Formats: sequence, structure tokens, C-alpha cells
Amino acid sequence: MSEEKSHATGTVEPGDTSKRVGMEVIRERGLDPEELREKLIDAIGAEFTTYYYYTNLRMHLAGEEDYKEITEDARLEDRAHFELVVPRIYELEGSLPNDIRDFADRASCPDAEVPTPMDDSGGFDTSELEVEDILEVLLEAERCAIRTWSEICDMTRGADPRTYDMAQRILNEEMDHEAWFIELLSKERDDEINPAGHFARGEPGDAPYSTNNRFNDSA
Amino acid sequence: MTQSSNEMWTVTIVVPEGSSLDEAGETYDLEVGTDETILATARSAGVWLPADCQQGWCTTCAARLVDGDVVHPNARRYYDEDDEAGYILPCTAKPRTDTTIVVDQHDDFLEFRAANDRPPGNSKLNG
Repeated sequence: MSEEKSHATGTVEPGDTSKRVGMEVIRERGLDPEELREKLIDAIGAEFTTYYYYTNLRMHLAGEEDYKEITEDARLEDRAHFELVVPRIYELEGSLPNDIRDFADRASCPDAEVPTPMDDSGGFDTSELEVEDILEVLLEAERCAIRTWSEICDMTRGADPRTYDMAQRILNEEMDHEAWFIELLSKERDDEINPAGHFARGEPGDAPYSTNNRFNDSA
Repeated sequence: MTQSSNEMWTVTIVVPEGSSLDEAGETYDLEVGTDETILATARSAGVWLPADCQQGWCTTCAARLVDGDVVHPNARRYYDEDDEAGYILPCTAKPRTDTTIVVDQHDDFLEFRAANDRPPGNSKLNG
């Protein structure tokens, strides 16, 4: 008999599609699912903008093919993070902003722009661009992501195992990325050896942690 | 306002009574160096103020400057009107005098940014 099954019923009436048990159980554990949802939108806004900006950053690593490849790994993995978490936002009754400018504006990390001044015509002048300046932008972007996903781990630990699982897997990769760029920047700028303990991903965009449970082949 | 030795300043952190932070209603006096951020010093002292990007961008850490002076040399998104209205971002704010701030002002700050058509005000409030 269902009355004897402690989890068979709860505060949501049978057949009620206006509420989600997946949100109510989070609320019962002391976390505001709406607040979490908005924070996730901010977080994946940063993943998405990073994906965009890394495209540009890696272009300007021309001639530094090893750096380009590693930046490409980070770029595609950031996109994987975006893809991983998007469904979670909809599960939490949210949606992505319709306007991409709104999405970028609320991203929880700064735009990872090519670090070069504008020229007289309003374009950006890359003639004096140094590789180490690009690596520093990459490094700080990864550090911001580490802070963001650590906060989400803190929020969700013990309250929302599903989001926690996503956040900690993304955090694993962001920490990899930070180590990569510390290694490269140390060598490039300071001629110091600070190994990341890493050689290469299997394929660009492998995202070994965050896509180990792929939703589909496009993600 | 008096400058102590070694470029250290006393930063008084007021956590409002109505704050959702565990430290609601508490006030802390911290010694913060000229080259240290208020947030990092507070967290090192066990006062876990809210913050996210820690690059002066996301505005999660927003606070009100009640007294004193700070600078934001590394903030990625801090506007003149923020300064004029007395808002600071403790994640990147470094004291230049003895200073008093009221923390946990993010919601008010988003309203302020929205009223001034600055991000992430409207994009978050209307999200």
C-alpha cells in the first residue's frame, strides 16, 4: 500500500504538473531552488562567453601552436560545461535569457577579451600583443570559474546532489585549466617550470569529467 | 582617520541586522593593508563575506561605504556613479584610510545599477 511507502507521496499532489518534486526536495533541504537557478544562469553565462572569447584569444596565439591547442581544449570544455548545465536550469523552471546581451551582462565572470588597446579607428590593435598577456587573461578566466563553481558546490552540498554532481565535475576541469595556464604563463613570462601534471586530452573538447554522462553526441 | 604603521588601516565591517548572513548584526574591526583587498582580509579572519568572481565584475560582494576611502585598481566593472553613490566592491577594494562599510548590499546595488542602466542590473532583475 502506498501509505506505507514513505516516499510515495509528499507535498505535491499526485498528477500535479504545476510543481516539481525535484525543486521541492531542494527547498525542504534549506536551499532556495530559484536562487540556485539564477546563480546557474550567471555561471553558464560565463562558460558561454568564455567559449566565445577563447575563440578570439586562440586566434591571436598564432605561431604558438601548442598554446593554441591547449586553449582549444579549454574552450571546448567550457562549452561542454554550458551544455551540461542548461537542462538543469529548465528543470528548475528557468530559461536562458532571450537576448544574448542580457546573458553576457549577467555572466558571473569578466569578458575574457584580447588584452590589447583599441586603435585610432576603434578596432583593436594586436601588433604589440604579447603571448604572456593572452595567457594571463586565460589564467584569470579559469580562476574566476573555479571561484564560481566552488560557490555552487558550497550551496548545493547536502541539498541538491544533482547540481552538486555537475558543479564538482565542472570544477575538476576548471582546476585542470588553471594548472595548464599556470604552467604556460610561468614558462613564457618568468622562465619558471611549474608543471601542470598534464600532457594532453585525448581529443579537443574531451571534457573527461563534465561529459562523462553525455546527454547526446552534440553536447 | 589616522594611518597606522606599515600602511595598515582599520576597516570596520558592519553586517546589517536583517542580513541573511550568519554574521547578521555583528560588527568587525579588521586591519587591512594598503595592498590587500577587504574581502580577502575578512575571509582570512574568518568573516566569510559573500563573493563570487572576486574580480570586481559580478557585484555579489557589493557593500556601502559609510566612512573612509578605498580604491578599486583591479575592478573589471566599477563605474564613477558607483563611487559617487558610495557603493564599493570589497573583493577588489583596498583601503586608503580607516574605513567603515556595510556589507551584503547586492540586492540594493542591482537596483542601483539598473536605475543607471549599468550591468548586471536589468539583466539580472528582469531575468
